[in-house]
Amino acid sequence: MSSIDFTRELSVVEGKPPLRVIDEIISKPLDSKPDKKFYIALSITLTMLGIGVVGLGLTFFYGIGLWGNNNPVGWGFDIVNFVFWIGIGHAGTLISAILFLFRQKWRTGIARFAEGMTIFAVMTAAIFPLFHTGRPWVAAVYLLPYPNQHSLWVNFTSPLLWDVFAVSTYFAVSFVFWYIGLIPDFATLRDRTTNGIKKIIYSLTSLGWRHSNRHWQNYELTYLILAGFATPLVLSVHTIVSFDFAVSILPGWHTTIFPPYFVAGAVFSGFAMVQNVLIFIRKIFNYEHIITLDTLERMNKIILLTGMMVGYAYSMEFFIAWYSGVQPEFFAFMNRAFGDYYWAYWIMFSCNVFIPQLFWFKKIRRSIPFMFVIAVLVNVGMWFERFVITVTSLSKDYLPSSWAYYKPTITDASLLIGSFGLFFTLVLLFTKSLPVVSISEVKAVVDGSQPSHGDH
Amino acid sequence: MSNKIGTKNIWKSIKEFENDPKILEEKLHEFKSGVTDDFDPENMSTFSRRKFLAVLAASTAYVSTACTNYRDKGEIVPYVKRPEEILPGKPTYYASTFSEDALSYGILVKTREGRPIKIEGNPDDPINKGKIPSRVHASILNLYDPDRLQFPIKTKAKTSWQKVNEEIINLLNEANSTNKEISIFTNPITSPTSQKVLNEFKTKFPSTKIYITQLVNNNNRITSWKNSFTQNIIPSIKWDKAKVIVALESDFLGKEGNTVENRIKYSDGRDIVNTKELNKLYSIEGAMSLTGMNADVRFRLNPVLQFEFLQSLTNELVKIGAINSSEIAENIISTISNLTLEKFATKTGLNLNKLKSLAQDLKNNKSNSIIYAGDVLSSEVHFLVNLLNELLGSQNLYDFENGFILNSDLTTSDEIKKFVVNSKSGNIGAIISFDANPIYELPEAFGLKEIFGNSKTTICISESPNETVELSQYILPSHNFLEAWGDHQTRNGHLTLQQPVISPLFDTKQKEEILLSWMGIENPNYHEFLMNELKNNIYAFSNSAADFNTYWFTALHDGVLKVAKNSESYKKLDQSFYKESKSKTERITILLQNNYTIGTGKYANNGWLQELPHPVTKVTWDNFAALSPATAEKLNVTYDDVVEINQNGKKVKLPAFIQPGMADDTVVVELGYGRKFSGDVANDVGFNVNGLLSEKNLSNYIFSGAVISKTGEIYELASTQEHHSLNDEFVKDFHKIRNIIQEGTLEEYKNNPEFLKEHKHEIFSITQSHEYKNEKWAMSIDLNKCLGCSECISSCNVENNVPVVGKDQVSRGREMHWIRIDRYYSGTPEEPIISTQPILCQHCDNAPCENVCPVNATNHSPDGLNQMAYNRCVGTRYCANNCPYKVRRYNFYNFRDNFADAHYENELSYLVNNPEVTVRSRGVIEKCSFCIQNIMLARENAIRENRSLNPNEVKTACQTACPSNAIEFGDANNKESFVNKFREHELGYYVLEELNIKPNVTYIAKIRNSHSEDV
Repeated sequence: MSSIDFTRELSVVEGKPPLRVIDEIISKPLDSKPDKKFYIALSITLTMLGIGVVGLGLTFFYGIGLWGNNNPVGWGFDIVNFVFWIGIGHAGTLISAILFLFRQKWRTGIARFAEGMTIFAVMTAAIFPLFHTGRPWVAAVYLLPYPNQHSLWVNFTSPLLWDVFAVSTYFAVSFVFWYIGLIPDFATLRDRTTNGIKKIIYSLTSLGWRHSNRHWQNYELTYLILAGFATPLVLSVHTIVSFDFAVSILPGWHTTIFPPYFVAGAVFSGFAMVQNVLIFIRKIFNYEHIITLDTLERMNKIILLTGMMVGYAYSMEFFIAWYSGVQPEFFAFMNRAFGDYYWAYWIMFSCNVFIPQLFWFKKIRRSIPFMFVIAVLVNVGMWFERFVITVTSLSKDYLPSSWAYYKPTITDASLLIGSFGLFFTLVLLFTKSLPVVSISEVKAVVDGSQPSHGDH
Repeated sequence: MSNKIGTKNIWKSIKEFENDPKILEEKLHEFKSGVTDDFDPENMSTFSRRKFLAVLAASTAYVSTACTNYRDKGEIVPYVKRPEEILPGKPTYYASTFSEDALSYGILVKTREGRPIKIEGNPDDPINKGKIPSRVHASILNLYDPDRLQFPIKTKAKTSWQKVNEEIINLLNEANSTNKEISIFTNPITSPTSQKVLNEFKTKFPSTKIYITQLVNNNNRITSWKNSFTQNIIPSIKWDKAKVIVALESDFLGKEGNTVENRIKYSDGRDIVNTKELNKLYSIEGAMSLTGMNADVRFRLNPVLQFEFLQSLTNELVKIGAINSSEIAENIISTISNLTLEKFATKTGLNLNKLKSLAQDLKNNKSNSIIYAGDVLSSEVHFLVNLLNELLGSQNLYDFENGFILNSDLTTSDEIKKFVVNSKSGNIGAIISFDANPIYELPEAFGLKEIFGNSKTTICISESPNETVELSQYILPSHNFLEAWGDHQTRNGHLTLQQPVISPLFDTKQKEEILLSWMGIENPNYHEFLMNELKNNIYAFSNSAADFNTYWFTALHDGVLKVAKNSESYKKLDQSFYKESKSKTERITILLQNNYTIGTGKYANNGWLQELPHPVTKVTWDNFAALSPATAEKLNVTYDDVVEINQNGKKVKLPAFIQPGMADDTVVVELGYGRKFSGDVANDVGFNVNGLLSEKNLSNYIFSGAVISKTGEIYELASTQEHHSLNDEFVKDFHKIRNIIQEGTLEEYKNNPEFLKEHKHEIFSITQSHEYKNEKWAMSIDLNKCLGCSECISSCNVENNVPVVGKDQVSRGREMHWIRIDRYYSGTPEEPIISTQPILCQHCDNAPCENVCPVNATNHSPDGLNQMAYNRCVGTRYCANNCPYKVRRYNFYNFRDNFADAHYENELSYLVNNPEVTVRSRGVIEKCSFCIQNIMLARENAIRENRSLNPNEVKTACQTACPSNAIEFGDANNKESFVNKFREHELGYYVLEELNIKPNVTYIAKIRNSHSEDV
């Protein structure tokens, strides 16, 4: 009988590397000059970013008319991209905050990176709400509740305003959380580096960290408190983003299931994106033993779980639309599945519900090529989910006379490409400027670093 | 006294410590008055702070004002001497006249600071009663059209009036002396004084010949009446008195004759709220017209079969005893004896029962029914119609008192052929186009293009560039009608006056003055000429006690002048004029029609009109070949496929449009499009199908035997409403399922007046509704009266500075109209039932747009208006998304910019803007405001006059424009208001009521006067 010891945790870091080796491996990308591959990658993402900047510049100069938006369909790619990127940003905080509180040690290898991606995703997302307005130059001011002599305030009942608060809070907390986690690593880098300029930068950013016991105690407590802070935010941000739709009276938007459904979807897409990027990172930087296949498999399990939650939401939406007996409501859903945009709906449904079911097979869960493709499809599906929700509901609402078909334009496409360009440019710069895995935390989870309870 | 903190005494000076009373006094007043010293720079020390600041302020002010050359900026300066009548900020109205195609409309021109900004109907006009067609509303834009001709031109070069006049006078004298013809082309002249000028011109130059042309004319009707009655007056129809109306290929409600008058009278018979009775409209047509759309019972019939239909109907009427066969001539009886309705129904597939009930209705409503044939039908059909009307005793419904005056006969094709021959043989001395466009309006087959192109003596008097101007040697710009004098008589018994309301914007002249100056009159003054004419011909016979000046100014003020009535009465038909018309359906029948918006192409350069949706198809900026679904299927053609129409070798290509309800094997094309050289907006919009017109008969619009073929090309039409397949079960009858359109039949309504309310649920709210203590503005729209004619849209556009966006933007669904007419089909594609519904902002009490705006740019006023603060709007478009009626419009671009086919950004076109309404910039949402500027004006007046607001006092632009008076607006809180009556009426309903957003536009459900089984 082959015996598996279920009481023993699997090692999070394989191979018991000495602490010095961990320092070296993780800070290696920071010590070395960028190679050719990096520049090739960067030039690709910068080109994409450039396309987006041109699209945005033209929009700024000429107006939203360059997009495909029309009279019933007031929101198109702009809001689809916004919700998509906010969703991508969800994995980070979930991994770093919620999994931290649940003492999931496997998160250590991926937390830093996921947090970084959260921040970049929110930055990418934040472009859209501002630039989708007709007059961004006044929107930047009018959307803030600043005291003024007209005693004119923002409208606190508008979900768009809640968005402003939710997203900015989320960004601020995520950023602080990320930075606090980086402080011990900055100190390690400061101690290692021989370059004068880097020394100054790391000295400043490490805030005088000396690895003292007292520092560690304060650090752990702060981290715990921030994790507590961030946890409700994981749920609240996408809840409030979902209110943008749910608070309206539009059939297909006005749905109470939206908050949990959106959060699940956000975690779903966020994990898929983190998994995608990490597959490259662990290969390129030789982190296979730090970001292990076990970790990836666990992420795939979460993708499977959230995928099913999303699938449940899709079905329940449909059921309630029928069960409510409200004709426009039921039509909105029938129209999604069988109307003009049926292809978008079935792309969404297959990518998000059918395809992740492959993760029931352990072989697929642990196969890098398979999981990569599945996660890419999940993000395609999740982008289409937002498209389906936003566009199909708007294109056919109450009065059949005002129905119209929405067709995106080249400018719309350029903004989508540009958003990916911005995100991946930031990710690339991140890999060469900051430790993408937490040095201090990994050290803490290497086999043998913890007090041992077994095998006396 | 001292400050105590705890038990310690705190002091700041010895004096305080010693409790100096002065210090104590000062301490009581923290901010003492008089701290500021008197400001006297003289007494200040050289470098005091205050002096420095004073000098700084003074020099800044000096630098910023004195050194700028503000004199040259052309800024607004107040009147040094205020002109009489003009009060800045107050509109002034002048009565005038708009005339077109032998029709005239009394108008009131609203001017602000001397600038005409809106045209309203003149309520004193005895015929049009203050209503005008959409073309007149929008024509204000033509005044400020930068494409207008601005100075005289000779062979493409700018020249002066004096020079051209000298040359032309020589030219005319030469022609006269060599006895060569001077040909004048003109459209029908409605002005007696203009006619007089032309007559005098003819006296002066006896070789003059005048050609009167009209692209779409009603000559067939006129001919038939003339054959029968030898009178100069054609009666108008008392539609309001008619119980049964049978329209044969006639769009009398849409684009035929004086539509405004027809709509006013017709809708009188549709006043179900007040009378509980309805007239009954039958329509038998091949096209799908606005009239057919409103018909209670509609038959679709190939237009060439109309004569046979009438014969069969006569037979049936004789059979059921509605008319007496002894009153009909032998030869007529013999031709109809074989034709029965039964046979006709079998042949055409029409519903026999419905046809029989038509005959029965005519019998039951003898002398209260009218059969009315369309302008496009032949004079034989018109004759038979007149005969039937006579036999049915319908002459009661003929109004000779206010009949149409036949000013002058249209030129026949033979005369034009003669002109062509003459010009080819060099017998034409000069060709003058007198505010007409013969090259475009006359059939291409005459070859006028070559004649004009080869001639060196072509003179064109025109307001705007056009095809004829392009080929003329001398181009003489004439005034816009708002800059010109005139008088118009189109109806019996009255004359309307036209006066200039703005001094000419360009170096143009009154067109009559141009002729007068050629006749050798130095500096002619048409104003005086007109006054003299009036004095001699009207004042002299008026028995007026007033002196002529008073008489003249009163007439100018009123705009309308009573003149002697031509007393004519009905005379019996001479049945010997009866002629049988051979009706044979061959291949495809082509029906050419007038269009709804741009007139005979004259208003093609008007963006507002080009963008006004076609009332039936909702297509903008184009004409098209309309086909029935079955014909389209047979030809394997779908929407936007370019087809070639080949009619005896005459070919045109244009896109197809599938129109439910059309007769099979019939193609309907509207004229007036495809203009060239006519300005930025007009050029190449739509397709010129004038090439299909016959050079043999200038009043023939129906051609059978055409061949239609698919070319394989695609041309995208831009419509404001998507066309869903009628058969698509997925979306069929949604307007009824969702209670957007609520309808019933007269029978149903009479049996149970509350029938609409039966399925209604009580809607309750968990929140308290807002209280409106004073006024609460609301609107009601009576769908029984609303015809879907779209005139409200035109009026609203002008009133509210609604931009033109161009075809490309319309096809992207970005039109900006604040009010739209929704059109829904139900039934089958072959025999659809059409419902129309004007939709504008419903000003909901619980407006869903308001709570989602993040910046409070849209909010609610205490008097129930949903308002927009454009300056606050940042353009998130959330309000538009959340509006269930989708009435909010977004400025996707700066639509006032220079877009190829839309509006212009130029100094001139800006002048058309209503100064009371903000011009919206790019990136903001706009929508119907219930004409808040009019509400504010009324309120201002009420306050000034120290009275309360009359609940019906405020009128919105759509309301004043509605010819059928379907729209009421007023204070819903006041029991006296009309709107309140409609809100409480049993037929009143709100669209999407179940959303509980409490809209404030009440719709009165349409009641159809048809049998329940027909609906």
